[in-house]
Amino acid sequence: MKRLALFFALVSAAVAGCVGTTGGELTSFDAYAAGPADARPGEPYTFETSRGYTVVLSRATLHVGAVYLNRSRPSSVSADTSCQLAGIYVAEVTSGLDVDVLSPALQPFPEPGFATTEHARTAEVWLFGNGDINEVNDDTAILDIAGTATKDGQTIPFEGRVTISDNRVVPPPSPAAPGAHPICKQRIVTPIPVDLDVEAGKDLILRVDPRGFFRNVDFGALAQIADDPPLYRFEDDSSDQPSTTLYSGLRASVGTYTLTWEATQ
Amino acid sequence: MQKPRFAALALSCALAATSASASAQGTVVMPRVVTQVTPKQPRHVTPRDADVVLAVALDVTGAVIEVSVIQSGGADFDVAAMDAVRQWTFTPALRDGQPFAAKIRVPVHFVAAPPPPPDGSVPSPPGAPASPSASAAPTTAPPPVTPGAQGVAAAPVAPTPAVPRPSATPAAPALDTPPAGTPPGKSPGETPAAAAKPPPAPIDVSAAGRRPPPTRGASDFHVDIGALGLVPVQNAAKMLQLAPSIFLSNDGGEGHAERVYLRGFDAREGQDIEFTVGGVPVNESGNLHGAGFANLHFVIPELVLSLRVVEGPFDPRQGNYAVAGSADYELGLAKRGVTLKYTYGTFNTHRALALWGPASESVHTFGGAQLQTSDGYGQNRGSKSGAAMGQYEGRLGETGSYRLLATAFASDYKSAGLLRAADLAAGQKGFYDTYDFGQGGSSSRFSVAADIESRLGDTTVYQQVFVVQTGMRLRENFTGFLLDTQTAIQEPHGQRGDLLDLSVNSTTFGARGHATLRGEILEQKQELEVGYYARGDRAFAERSRVGAATDAPYKTDARYDSTLGDIGLYADANLRFTRWLSVRGGVRADLLTYDVLDQCAVQDVSRPSESHPPGDASCLDQQRFGVHREPYQRTTTTGLRAMPRGSIILGPFRGVTFSLSAGTGVRSVDPKFVTQDASAQFASVDAYEGGVAFTHDFGPLKLVARSILFGTHVDRDLIFSETEGRNVIGGGTTRVGWIGQARADGEFFDTNAAITLTRSAYDDTGLLVPYVPDVVLRWDGALHHELPFELAGRKPRGTAAFGLSYIGKRALPYGQRSDTIFTFDAGVTVGYRNFDLGVSASNLFDTAYRQSEYNFASVWKSQGAPTLVPARNFAAGAPREVMFTLSANFGGEPQ
Repeated sequence: MKRLALFFALVSAAVAGCVGTTGGELTSFDAYAAGPADARPGEPYTFETSRGYTVVLSRATLHVGAVYLNRSRPSSVSADTSCQLAGIYVAEVTSGLDVDVLSPALQPFPEPGFATTEHARTAEVWLFGNGDINEVNDDTAILDIAGTATKDGQTIPFEGRVTISDNRVVPPPSPAAPGAHPICKQRIVTPIPVDLDVEAGKDLILRVDPRGFFRNVDFGALAQIADDPPLYRFEDDSSDQPSTTLYSGLRASVGTYTLTWEATQ
Repeated sequence: MQKPRFAALALSCALAATSASASAQGTVVMPRVVTQVTPKQPRHVTPRDADVVLAVALDVTGAVIEVSVIQSGGADFDVAAMDAVRQWTFTPALRDGQPFAAKIRVPVHFVAAPPPPPDGSVPSPPGAPASPSASAAPTTAPPPVTPGAQGVAAAPVAPTPAVPRPSATPAAPALDTPPAGTPPGKSPGETPAAAAKPPPAPIDVSAAGRRPPPTRGASDFHVDIGALGLVPVQNAAKMLQLAPSIFLSNDGGEGHAERVYLRGFDAREGQDIEFTVGGVPVNESGNLHGAGFANLHFVIPELVLSLRVVEGPFDPRQGNYAVAGSADYELGLAKRGVTLKYTYGTFNTHRALALWGPASESVHTFGGAQLQTSDGYGQNRGSKSGAAMGQYEGRLGETGSYRLLATAFASDYKSAGLLRAADLAAGQKGFYDTYDFGQGGSSSRFSVAADIESRLGDTTVYQQVFVVQTGMRLRENFTGFLLDTQTAIQEPHGQRGDLLDLSVNSTTFGARGHATLRGEILEQKQELEVGYYARGDRAFAERSRVGAATDAPYKTDARYDSTLGDIGLYADANLRFTRWLSVRGGVRADLLTYDVLDQCAVQDVSRPSESHPPGDASCLDQQRFGVHREPYQRTTTTGLRAMPRGSIILGPFRGVTFSLSAGTGVRSVDPKFVTQDASAQFASVDAYEGGVAFTHDFGPLKLVARSILFGTHVDRDLIFSETEGRNVIGGGTTRVGWIGQARADGEFFDTNAAITLTRSAYDDTGLLVPYVPDVVLRWDGALHHELPFELAGRKPRGTAAFGLSYIGKRALPYGQRSDTIFTFDAGVTVGYRNFDLGVSASNLFDTAYRQSEYNFASVWKSQGAPTLVPARNFAAGAPREVMFTLSANFGGEPQ
């Protein structure tokens, strides 16, 4: 009976080989995250902001919950209350990673990703603690930063810890639209425009540019929390300009996150 | 009894019957005389020649149940002939090996004896041997010769088989059978040498039973179950595998309808195949799970006599849903008497069955009931069901019959659904596990039908009416926690679960009828049939989503109240230009009407009313800016399509028949897709094929073999969407392929094998259509014989049967291929007198196989973040199941 089964399998394989394919391919891939390519391993990252501050970033850790690629480009994101984009997702990395944003080295996500070999036009970075993205309360530190900002001879040491929890809930615009601002929309950076051909044998690289976090931050408006030594802190809410701007930079779909599909081996 | 003389004639009749059977492609074997009593010249009547023609009705055992006079030879001669013939015994008429009640014509010729010889010896009957030891009528002594008496025993003529109408669909047209009364080996006009006068001209009395429609070519499969009924099958739907190209899977549990793949079509649960049982439609229009949904579980497998599977839309009788083809179940009970059967097996499976069929009635008169329960294999697969079927066939005069059919069915079952292959690989789920224990369903079906067929001169008329009530509830969850999207008007929520709770209740009522006119042109028999089909459906369907945490519905997806109509008419001609050239075909037109009330037409609104916020309500009563509107929307529309179909049959030439067929079929859209003021759209199918069939009887061995090339084009196909988890309207597709099939049916064995190779591709890209198998192989076989030893003077009987399926790797999206499927089912029985004991095993080698595989996105919270990329999901096939069966039959044929 085994020989009979083998015979049929050979016939079937011969027929199958002659009759074509459905197109495309499934593939698994390794995924990596890293800081800017011009950063130096083990050293602070220095840059200038649009407000004239010279920032020396000594600590920047970003928690990435998941990364997705979608083959569609959404026409209107603001009106969409769904956590997920319409269209077909073509790649996903569903394991979380704490990324040292100051290191240019590729830091691997703990589990491989999974993809279909298609063209991707949109990327998403999900910033959550790997529980339920719709759960309002999540104390996971999404961004942990420390450094100094200097302008006009004045140096402002700062630190900050950003969470996306009940502190980020946006009130509904009206009683008739209680679900207009679901918490998941706060945690998903989208749509990040990409132009990628997902291919087997290559990997996904997410580069995070910390300059995007501080693009328009007025460090002079930070709240001082200590005198000796002096220390200023970004609030974990939207109570002041620096904290609000930092949070906006964290969730910016342009200028902070870039994704490439390339061979890493 | 004139054994030598009548034995010769009986043998001649048998040869004629066999010859006619072979000429008619082995369909009908007429009764043969076993024993007979010579009619006596009536007393007190002046001896004379007389001809009496009798109509003799036989039951399925060949016993005479009624004798009547067709042509009188005088009252006394009529009585004498009837008295004798009532004592005759016959072998039963056989249709494809199955006995059936028949009516035959028996001419009796009385011959006035010549005057006694002057020496006083007993005169021999005309034609009889001169030896007194071989005198006529061995069961009766010759009458004493008295002075002046001239009468002697009449010289009966062996019964002449009535002209049989072809009662099964052969691979090639039935050849002309010799006119009744023409002895075998003789041409019309010649007379039997034994009779002093030629027998009277035959009166065309048809055998009981209905003439099936003429074959449409090589893809018209009339599958007589016969000994292949010994092959273990779980339900009547599995019998479809006796026809080539058919692959069945079932994602939804024991009570859920099978998903059918045929010739490269994913017909889902019936959307592309027209199913009928005894002519009563099974496809459900207006079923929200899919228009054309067909659940065959109400059919008791032991009550299936045969199947007619037409693969392709080539017959004008085929109606809506006959895109890939059609399948009709002919019901009947060949094993007469009372049968009780009990089965117990793996997974705590119990089945009790009772069947009855009076021996004196047609095989189409029967009753049956079954009860079944099982825990099922793996998680969440238990089921309970009950079914009952009853039919009575009666005679209307000499040439008519009527049938009354009633069926009832109810089931309740659990379902395991699909598993993500990644979760299996990661060890998070077992092969037979489930994600959602809330899956399952129930179904019911109740129907009554009545039909009449009668021959009026050269015209046969048929009329059927039917009423069907069905109910279905189905809970299934393929996507887990993916589809519950947040809308602005809703309270904030996460993914509450994708368990769909679908319920459908529908009533179908309708009628069909046709008139077939037969005549002769060019010295060939010609037929013209015109017919109609009328069907109305009233269906109420609702689908809601059920919360995983609460098991309460949180959203109504859809709610439809539909009134649907289908009125069709057709004309079909069966033209024969020569004995070897036939053209069959015609045209059918169907008008489909839709009156659909969407009772949940508004599910979201932008700029809702702030004073009357909709909240989480499903069926809204406002539109933009909060303006009031009713939550429902009615849509009415119609569609009309004409479908030409035809076949050319060449042959048979020494058993070989060639055929070419072409036809158009349509599939009506789901009611939810119709649009007001837009003509209802159909998916249109153009099909064509060419085939060759060979049929021959090698003595007791009947051999049939076919080779068919086919092609089909669909302009708007329904393709399974990996993102939506259901079929959606796609683009045009083309399917081409080849079928090879052979069946050998002998005295003690029956085997049938078929292989189908198919390529299904999209017209625009040339890429393969996913999910449909491109290699389907099925091999069934059965042995049945007496065992070579005796018990108390009787030999037990034994049977062995097997069924083998091989399905090649199916194309899946993204260039993937599924696993192969290889299963082997087998069973043996031993029977003695009225009892049979059997054991059967399905999937004997306990193969862990995936009966269906798909690629779509599903989220079962097996990982931190949701899995949104389409991935492999599968339904596990059943592991090995062993069943023990004890059955008893009383009142049937002697064992």
